[in-house]
Amino acid sequence: MAATLSDEGPRGGALIFSASTLIGPATAIVALGVIGPLLILLRYSLNDFDPRLLMVEAFTAKNYVTFFTDAYYLGVFFTTVRVALICTAICLVLGFPLAYLLARTQTRFKNLLIIGVVIPLFVGNAVRAAGWMTLFGSRGFLSVTLMDLGITTEPTEIMFTELAVIIGIIAVNLPYMVLTLQSVLEGINRNLEEAAFSLGAAPVTMFVRVLWPLALPGIAAGTILTFILAMNAYATPVLLGGPEFRMMAPLVYSQFQLNNWPFAAAVAFLLMGTTLLLTIAASLATRQRFRG
Amino acid sequence: MSLARSDAPAAGGLLPDRWRLGRWLFKGVALVAFLYILTPLIFITWLSFYAQEIPSYPPEGYSLNWYGQALNNERFLKAFLLSAQLGVVATLIGLAVALPASLGIVRLRFRGRGTVNNLLLMPLIVPGIVLGFALYVFQVEIAIATSWPILGSFGGLVFGHVLLVIPWTVRLITASLVGFDRTLEEAAQNLGANRFTTFRRVTMPAILPGIVAGALFGFVSSFGNLEMSLFLVGPGRTTLPIAILQYLQWKIDPTIAAVSVLQIAIIAVAMLVTDRFVKISRVV
Amino acid sequence: MARLELDGVSKHYGDFYAAREVTLDVAEGEFLVLLGPSGCGKTTTLRAIAGFVEPSAGTVRIGGKDVTRLPPWKRNTGLVFQNYALFPHLTVAQNVAFGLEMRKVSKADAATKVNEALRLVRLDHLGDRLPRQLSGGQQQRVALARALVFRPDVLLLDEPLSNLDAKLRNEVRVEIRSLQQRLGITTVMVTHDQEEALTMADRLVVMSEGKVRQVGSQRDLYERPADRFVAGFVGRSSFLEGHMSGDTLTTPGGLAIKCARKIAGEAVVALRPERVFVGTEPVTTADNSFPGEVEFVSYMGGLIDIHVRLSEHDQVIAQVPNHDGSVLPAVGDRVHVGWAPTSAVFPAEHNGMDG
Repeated sequence: MAATLSDEGPRGGALIFSASTLIGPATAIVALGVIGPLLILLRYSLNDFDPRLLMVEAFTAKNYVTFFTDAYYLGVFFTTVRVALICTAICLVLGFPLAYLLARTQTRFKNLLIIGVVIPLFVGNAVRAAGWMTLFGSRGFLSVTLMDLGITTEPTEIMFTELAVIIGIIAVNLPYMVLTLQSVLEGINRNLEEAAFSLGAAPVTMFVRVLWPLALPGIAAGTILTFILAMNAYATPVLLGGPEFRMMAPLVYSQFQLNNWPFAAAVAFLLMGTTLLLTIAASLATRQRFRG
Repeated sequence: MSLARSDAPAAGGLLPDRWRLGRWLFKGVALVAFLYILTPLIFITWLSFYAQEIPSYPPEGYSLNWYGQALNNERFLKAFLLSAQLGVVATLIGLAVALPASLGIVRLRFRGRGTVNNLLLMPLIVPGIVLGFALYVFQVEIAIATSWPILGSFGGLVFGHVLLVIPWTVRLITASLVGFDRTLEEAAQNLGANRFTTFRRVTMPAILPGIVAGALFGFVSSFGNLEMSLFLVGPGRTTLPIAILQYLQWKIDPTIAAVSVLQIAIIAVAMLVTDRFVKISRVV
Repeated sequence: MARLELDGVSKHYGDFYAAREVTLDVAEGEFLVLLGPSGCGKTTTLRAIAGFVEPSAGTVRIGGKDVTRLPPWKRNTGLVFQNYALFPHLTVAQNVAFGLEMRKVSKADAATKVNEALRLVRLDHLGDRLPRQLSGGQQQRVALARALVFRPDVLLLDEPLSNLDAKLRNEVRVEIRSLQQRLGITTVMVTHDQEEALTMADRLVVMSEGKVRQVGSQRDLYERPADRFVAGFVGRSSFLEGHMSGDTLTTPGGLAIKCARKIAGEAVVALRPERVFVGTEPVTTADNSFPGEVEFVSYMGGLIDIHVRLSEHDQVIAQVPNHDGSVLPAVGDRVHVGWAPTSAVFPAEHNGMDG
């Protein structure tokens, strides 16, 4: 990294190394480990595939064309976007009140509550999917309880449906939304809310006119983060959606296992491209509104 | 002045009923969200205590047998050891490069500073499945070009996981550096400490919470990573998340539940211990 | 503009009383200042008026109407926060217009009023700026305009000057006061700065430990402090403690001090430094005259503080004007100090926090 460094003068503090010594190793690792591989993957996605010869060197858009002309793959694509949108919207609605209370509470239990939100984050998606599996199975808690209560007579089949996947992904993403919103809300001085109240704004008005616009950058960040995570979910759709249900990330892996690397690479790029595109669009839209 | 009034809280709240209802609704939604987050963990824990092997509700009784099963399962044990080893090595390497990089980003003014910062956070943004696949083909190309057996090696796996650790450590260390009051360094130097001593005795202790938190988050994101490892583990090797996924694709029973609970317990203990040193509510 | 009454307002959190039986009656157009050290309950009282603190007991009435159970947004009070709490995403004009908008004032009407309010605080040229583009003093004035524009029944000021530098503070004091008088608006201000309180208030309320210690004019508080706390917090006092019998207080150091008021038992005399005379001869004009030794002299330009030790236990401060040709006593000089028996004296158990 060519860095024209200018020390901050007298406040140079503890630094006696040049910028390139300090940031060089980390930058090199990430550049080598992310940008290089992605470029190779992009090149692969333009190759051809032959069932006998596997990957064949070529320069064709065939894989991308196949994806957008085949109803099955398009279906996978739209399922993924739909599931991601639904999950993100529900995460926002469910997450905001919890984030707000966590940000404003002054009880001793605040840390415990936050740890309660954080632990599931680190537990792994497969483990959490397993939790839903015990709940959703045809002889699981939910189905049996519904029958015991006489609400249903048949076992409820939620496993291996889109609903199960949506419920599972929301549980995975909700902590991210809550933590992002919480940190933003904590940065908004409570006096601003009180100022609005004292000027005659009822809670809903206060929310619309003060809290929402001020929290918007954080809301955008949380929404984008959960959206990305939902788009790229792997373990949850695999375990809760079953073999028939397909989202983009599992599709990449299954095509990879079928040895069709060029097509898998193309799907991977479409997944990443869509995610990035929608993310940029969302952040531009919120920025516009924030200025306006 | 006849002010002999009872000090008992006045009946009725400050808000009219409509608003009080709204406030309860708000709190209710928050509670639902909190329980929602914890539900899967509660149910998997419950299952781990079922007496019978088939996960049908209601349980026929309760037993602790499955924990013995889980602890004696060679496959899970080996997977756990690999994951732990991988997490520790990747975290140490990640910290070693992330700490100087964070210092450079926060303290130095150089062209492209913002770009470097964004680049270092990039592994968080690239989808895991895409990054795993990309790294795999990258290692294929290296193996072909140099006939260096990197593909499926422990080193190759570590390299991938270092990429997961770097963004977390950079993010949390830069955050604590930005919040650090630099007049403290000036005070130390005024008192006669040289730059190195100043860093060791003043700067380091102040940003230690950020470093610890970064290391913890880095470790946990490596330990729990599934998508990247799927591509990078060689034949005959599995990490714990892969072992759990593969088992669950086959069946769900109290043994896997017990494995999951043990994992949850380890992470919960790690978090609670960390919380004693660094308030987690301040770093996430 | 309205009368504001607090009747036995208490607020407790568990065993802790943030405010205890606070009773106040603020007349229409009056400027009342709540004065006290931090944690004395003045802010709790202000927030109870604004509606952010729900009293555990007691009532708050504005214009004769009980508002104790009304939420803040239905109270029509204008509140200026210590940190101003200007909405950072709204322009100055939008900030000021906020309260009018909440009151469903028509756009055109609101624009006129906003302009008027901004002109009142001399900021009509900055309406399009964002708060962060203004100086601290300007932000303060925007906060004031925002709180005044909708003609609130009561104006509430929470340490409004504490974030300004000293010079600006003096200007803004006068400005707020004259604005308040011009508009005739009932105002309650909270502060811990006695100078600020004394210069601005019609009437003051001294609070400590959640309780109202004394209500009165500047003169009342200074001349007739209700207890030792007020004597120490409003103006300065030297305190001499001892045992009282008849009209004489005997200190542990052996001084026999004549007082105008009789209190049986332990008591304390509060002496205003400027009411303590210092001379080289016994002070014959005062009933109390004692010899002592100068311990410390502090030269403050127009005034001079002389600390005089009267005994091992007793010390008083005298403040004397620095006249042309005055001879300054030096440390170690033997002098005589004297004071009139009319100085305030309180029972010792009235002992509040030392201010």
